[in-house]
Amino acid sequence: MSALTGLLATPLLWLAATLGVFEIFERLSQRSGRHPLCHPVLWTTPVLIALLWATGTPYADYQADTFLLSFLLGPAVVGLAVPIWAQRERIARLAVPIVLSLAAGAVTSIVSAVGILSLFGAPADILASIAPRATTTPVAMAIAQQLGGVPALAACIVLFAGIVGAMTATPLLNAMKFDDYRPRGFALGVSAHGFGAARAFQVSETAGAFASLGMALNAVMTAALLSLLAVFL
Amino acid sequence: MLAAIFLLLACQLVGEALHRITGLALPGSVIGMVLLLGWLALVRRERPTLSAVSGWLTAHLSIMFVPAAVGLMQEGPALARYGLGLALATGVSTILTIIITALVFRWALHRFTPEEVGKRPVQPAEPGA
Repeated sequence: MSALTGLLATPLLWLAATLGVFEIFERLSQRSGRHPLCHPVLWTTPVLIALLWATGTPYADYQADTFLLSFLLGPAVVGLAVPIWAQRERIARLAVPIVLSLAAGAVTSIVSAVGILSLFGAPADILASIAPRATTTPVAMAIAQQLGGVPALAACIVLFAGIVGAMTATPLLNAMKFDDYRPRGFALGVSAHGFGAARAFQVSETAGAFASLGMALNAVMTAALLSLLAVFL
Repeated sequence: MLAAIFLLLACQLVGEALHRITGLALPGSVIGMVLLLGWLALVRRERPTLSAVSGWLTAHLSIMFVPAAVGLMQEGPALARYGLGLALATGVSTILTIIITALVFRWALHRFTPEEVGKRPVQPAEPGA
């Protein structure tokens, strides 16, 4: 057995477990016709938490072992420039709707999230963690830190927002009779960051490009709004 | 292939450096994305490999969130106390933001750029996004 304990010092076990568990739920998600409630992250996360608890593995070890996956988020965010560039002409023609709906969406997101949570008597550090909830994980963590919030909590809130967005956007926008992929994708990116973009790409290249754009612009807009707010408060 | 990966990493690296130097709240990857947009505008050519690499990355975005999601296991105390408020505030805010953003987009599209209204890109008939 001691011959195997050295294996635990390598990232192999948890990296393989993460990919394996994710792949199982990815296939189930495909088989369900991409039903929002079958989103693979929604099921992979509790299964891995249960495995970590059962084996007494601290989160810090898991985090270190799966660093490769989290690291890829960086180049993936950079690479979102490619679909945005491909759609540049269409985006330029729609500059006015994009800017106006971005501003409305960013303000709605911050005010409604902080407003509702403050009704529950949450302290300032928890409120600071929810304020950037619409931005992509690394942005939200950076903003939360700057505002005196808890970066790890911000990451979880962002994730939950992503799941809610990916799950509700399709039925919601269908009910509102949106048949245009441009506002559909853009709204999903503004409100549910990379998670929403991932969902949008599953459906249409146009929705994906507008979702990427919404995600990127809202990262900038929310960071700017909250930095300004922090100066005045 | 390597050139495309290098371009992505180089943009992120410079973005990361700018983030640290300027103290901007924007993280390096987002600055890197803006830099890559600038590079694509500056050096115009067909880039099938870069499209393939970035396409592969965006197709697998979901799994990259898993390590952060598992971090939920550490937030027990905060979640126990404010879990309901956090879930409600996050859920309502997310849905409300989608509705407001989509409505303002549609209104502004009709109000300011009516010539764009009918120009819906041709897509497969599957409803979604």
